[in-house]
Amino acid sequence: MNFIEVKDVVKQYDGHLALDRVSISVPRGCVFGLLGPNGAGKTSLIRILNMITRADSGEVLFDGHQLCASDIANIGYLPEERGLYRKMKVADHILYIARLRGMDTQAARVAMGEWLERFGLTEWAGKKIETLSKGMAQKVQFITTVIHSPQLLIFDEPFSGFDPVNAELLKKEILRLHDMGATIIFSTHNMSSVEEVCEEFALINRSQVVLSGRVAQVRRNFGKKLYRVGVSDTMSLEPVDNLFSVEHVEPSPFGGIVADLRLGTDVAPRDVVAYLNDHYMLAEFHELLPSMNEIFIETVSNTNNTIAR
Amino acid sequence: MSSIKRISIIMWREFLAIAGKKTFIVTTILIPLIGIACMGLPFLMSKINTSETQTVAVMDESGRYGAAITSNDDFRFHDISPIGAEGLKEFYDQQENLYAIVVIPAGIDSTCNVNIISRNAVRTGLQQHVAQCLDDTITQARIASYGIPQLDKIMEDSRADVQVNCIKWEEDGSESQSNADIASFIGLMLAFLTYMFVMMYGAMILTSVSEEKTNRIVEVMVSCCRPIELLVGKIVGVGLVGLAQIAIWVALLGVASAALGFGSIASGDPSMMMQASGANAMLDGMDDETLATFMQSVASIDIAGIVVCFILYFLGGYLLYGSLFAAAGSTVDQPNESSQVTVPLMMFLVFALWAGIACIDNPDGQLAWWCSMIPFTSPVVMMVRLPYDVALWEVVLSIVVLYASAFGIAALAAKIYRKGILLYGKKFSLKDILTLLK
Repeated sequence: MNFIEVKDVVKQYDGHLALDRVSISVPRGCVFGLLGPNGAGKTSLIRILNMITRADSGEVLFDGHQLCASDIANIGYLPEERGLYRKMKVADHILYIARLRGMDTQAARVAMGEWLERFGLTEWAGKKIETLSKGMAQKVQFITTVIHSPQLLIFDEPFSGFDPVNAELLKKEILRLHDMGATIIFSTHNMSSVEEVCEEFALINRSQVVLSGRVAQVRRNFGKKLYRVGVSDTMSLEPVDNLFSVEHVEPSPFGGIVADLRLGTDVAPRDVVAYLNDHYMLAEFHELLPSMNEIFIETVSNTNNTIAR
Repeated sequence: MSSIKRISIIMWREFLAIAGKKTFIVTTILIPLIGIACMGLPFLMSKINTSETQTVAVMDESGRYGAAITSNDDFRFHDISPIGAEGLKEFYDQQENLYAIVVIPAGIDSTCNVNIISRNAVRTGLQQHVAQCLDDTITQARIASYGIPQLDKIMEDSRADVQVNCIKWEEDGSESQSNADIASFIGLMLAFLTYMFVMMYGAMILTSVSEEKTNRIVEVMVSCCRPIELLVGKIVGVGLVGLAQIAIWVALLGVASAALGFGSIASGDPSMMMQASGANAMLDGMDDETLATFMQSVASIDIAGIVVCFILYFLGGYLLYGSLFAAAGSTVDQPNESSQVTVPLMMFLVFALWAGIACIDNPDGQLAWWCSMIPFTSPVVMMVRLPYDVALWEVVLSIVVLYASAFGIAALAAKIYRKGILLYGKKFSLKDILTLLK
């Protein structure tokens, strides 16, 4: 069952088409990556999900029903450009946002106590936000996003500006919320984090979804029959017609060589393994899947070229 | 959760964000003090200046009027007539501390000319004092020169002092005293108060809006509430700060009046009130009769009606300009741009104030009438007209026009605001703003 269903959403800003019949499906409890170059329409889509703006046409289903105002209480949103009221005290700020999200003051206080403790900010509750370091302020922003235990969390470039230690802490907390059942939408350029945490994704380019699906499946589909082998008893590897060609060879630190082989069409990996096993001392054999980064760049430049033509 | 609940949460935050600051408390107390200081300072300064007594020499060539110039707190006069005109310069050069020399020429009876010689410019106080002393004495001497018995008495009796009383005929045929000076003073005060508050609190709304936009909290905010809720919460919250400030001032005034005995105003004894307030210095020239007229004029102005209208116009004007300031603030990207967008609004307000001042001379004229109907100027201009008894239908019409346009403009401003707060890196032209209104 999909928690979020975006169907044929169109959004136009004076003359500029920001979203062109965009459809995405986010299963319940999924970590979903929303990818795309700058200006592709990610933020427009996120704003529609947050009810900041409305779609010109198309529909958005939230947990099976039309997205409506009361769903705001079930969404947590951390924008890329995020700010805080610098003159407010940490606790006042968190409570303010929590109450606007529909929490009653008592429940908000309890939840805030837990979160502040988890991030080691308890002593800062009474301090003004302007006295906080950048890292601490980012933690406060995170707390205001998740304090009302929303079912849907939307993070726009969550790790930008975080130092590695805090980024790791943040990732841990996001995955903890995921384990607790939250559905999470990540909007990011950081492709390694997509490979690490996202199960599904949609790639938006020029206002349209150009690629989507399960991360593992798409990487496999994009695989170009490239395999890495390690052989320990030779310093050279000859290509075999109709079986494989050799793309790249380098000596292995453990002796022998490591080589990238491209398999011929309709050649099964097991045949190559059998051949190598017969002729060499085979130490390693695995498929080289393209990284999300490569898939991203390839897909974006392909669609751009198509449109250019 | 309802809109009202969210608006009230936002409203309180906005209220506390301004009213909770130390600067608010300090300025609230300081503004009346500065006001009093501005009025009282020139008076105090003149007091400080005159604390010194200057020595002035009198060279009386006429031989008759030297004694007429009498010493007072400011000046001490010495007769130096025996020195003679030839020795005057030498004498002055020797006397370092001599402030000035008054020279009364021999022919003063006919010319009425007196010279004051000094090293520096002399204080006007000296000129006035010398003139006053000699005026009386020479007048007396001239009257006496006619040789008519009791001429001075006859002249005193025949002097006329015309008092102009303004009587207003009410519809029911009764009469009441009115006083243009007092009416215009009260009107101008209220007009200025409205002007100042709309300007001050409008600017606060603008700052609050543009701050949210420039520090990017607004994206989080509009994901928690509708932009219109944020806008309304802000306008109401900042407005409450204004009302709180007025309430504090009224309370301070009450405390101060109680302390100074202004309370006697309620007992209806004007002379006691005047004495108690220490205002008798100001009203020195007023005899009891004038005072009674003054009080009657004050009583003839419909205080309760004016207060109700003041509040209505004040709130309407605040809503109108407040939403415009909010719309202007939402187009501001960088904090330093805000002054550009406020200039047109400020010009409207300043024009309203000038129109108000101009209307004092002719509160029933064309300018006054139209400016008290146009919603951009009516909150200020109508304040000037009100103490002159404006027809009820005019007031009602003007208030209806004001509120209708205030709500209309607030709705348009909300449209600009809603889109403006999320647009960055864009210079807004008038055309862009019109597009936002679509």
